Amino acid sequence: MATAFKPDETFRGDFRYSNSAAAVLRFPFPFVEDRYMYGINLEPHTRPGSSGAFAVAFDVDEHYVAECAERALSLAQDPGRCLVLPHMHEAEWDTLELIMESLAADYPEHFTLEREGLDWTWTNRPLGLHQTFRFGDAGTLPYPPFEYITRQAQGDFTLQDQRDGTLYIDGGITTTQADWSLAFDVGMTFHEWHGPVPLAHQAGVFDRALQYLMRVRYGHPARRLNWTLTVNPRLDTSPENYPIWGPDRASLTPENIADRLFLRVELQTFYRLPRSNALLFGIRAYLANLADLTRVPKWGRRLHRVMRDLHPEVVGYKGITRYHDVLVNHLAQFDDGAPTSPGIAPDVDALREM
Amino acid sequence: MTTGSFTSRPRYSPLTRFPSARAHLLVADHAGIAPHAFAETCSAADFPERWEVVAHARVLPQPLGGPGVHQFRSASHLLTLLGHRLNAETMGLRLYAVGSEPFVWDVARVGREAGMGREEMQLFAVGQPVRRVVCVHCRTINPEVTTTLVTCAGCGVTLSVRDHFSRMHNTWMGVQCDAEAPGELPEVEDLCA
Repeated sequence: MATAFKPDETFRGDFRYSNSAAAVLRFPFPFVEDRYMYGINLEPHTRPGSSGAFAVAFDVDEHYVAECAERALSLAQDPGRCLVLPHMHEAEWDTLELIMESLAADYPEHFTLEREGLDWTWTNRPLGLHQTFRFGDAGTLPYPPFEYITRQAQGDFTLQDQRDGTLYIDGGITTTQADWSLAFDVGMTFHEWHGPVPLAHQAGVFDRALQYLMRVRYGHPARRLNWTLTVNPRLDTSPENYPIWGPDRASLTPENIADRLFLRVELQTFYRLPRSNALLFGIRAYLANLADLTRVPKWGRRLHRVMRDLHPEVVGYKGITRYHDVLVNHLAQFDDGAPTSPGIAPDVDALREM
Repeated sequence: MTTGSFTSRPRYSPLTRFPSARAHLLVADHAGIAPHAFAETCSAADFPERWEVVAHARVLPQPLGGPGVHQFRSASHLLTLLGHRLNAETMGLRLYAVGSEPFVWDVARVGREAGMGREEMQLFAVGQPVRRVVCVHCRTINPEVTTTLVTCAGCGVTLSVRDHFSRMHNTWMGVQCDAEAPGELPEVEDLCA
């Protein structure tokens, strides 16, 4: 069945956003057990995988059209959210090719790519785009190639150059980021840009993750899930705009937390690019509020246990401190003490009645 | 590689001469480099070409250098001429910088812009801790910050300095510290304390 897009959704202001029951059931729930600590949790990005969101290379869901409009708005307000250093030019074309080929193969009803040598024609039906261009000639596209294609994809992307035994973040597009700044971090090594994350460095997580990522081969992408909590279905939780979204964290009450607090899950994917040998990171944000997630009994039980037992430094780093008590008290009603099955699957075919 | 260092915070080691280099250039934002800027096995005498800032306008530097101590009118003056010098250089030069943190990373930028890699330079910060802090909200650069909180000269918010340093921009990240609850400010601490 073709996806029914919801082009009128908004991710700021009046926050017109909701998940269908199907979208909740395919939500990439990030907790494989009843507790959480930083780990590597990298695995091959094989399909279909344990969540519906893993079914394709670059997932297109009911929020696609609205998220692309939100990205265009963020870029109009702050063009610096898309930034690629000059030596990553080849990686830009690699990215365009990978995303176009993947979308056309996974969603032929929405996207078509026709190639005659270097003369390509791209059709994006949900956004109403039809573009003929010459591969390798940036002058034939309305935006630079990386920006052109990532304006038509959900989630952020970054480009990593591999040299000196590490990865450098040398480009990207970030309009849906969880409190980190591409403009500030550009040019940093893998360890430098992860500097502010607590606990994980000491556990060797970044050393091992870097070794894994530097060995990702062309045609064998990897993935992991990461998470945080966001008040309101706001995609742009950038440090740049923290003065705008920061006050939301002080607005939660026992009455509104179920509707207004969202679990924000990043499906991170890692692709080796063929010509540049760069590594493309996809950082796709999924948002679902507590009211929806707790309609899956297993997820409600598990969320309570994970949030109750979080390490205090994780509570602080993820910005939960101010409302942690309200959160745990709210979730307690969904935890009957029953055991939960291992893994992230919802274990149900339909949501519990509200 | 910075494996083993848990933050983006720079850490400095006293200078040693790169063993196999064609030429060495040591630059400082002051005159009279303190002995502790050098490792035990070495001293200023091991760097026959030194550029120093004397902070008056009556010196005439020789930007293409050569052995000897060359004097510059200011750090800005030195950095400008360093760019000219490095653009005229060939492979095999190693660059060393001693001075305030903002200065030594300015030197690194000039080196990078001339095509030098991180492994071809050594930096050593000396003196009182001072930080160049960028306001991530309005992009204003606040120079010479010596406390953990600073009022942004651009947008007026009170910034706390996140433990996050960009070698490329030579700035620490400043983030509004009372965005969630206006007026809720932590104690200000002096970086020198």
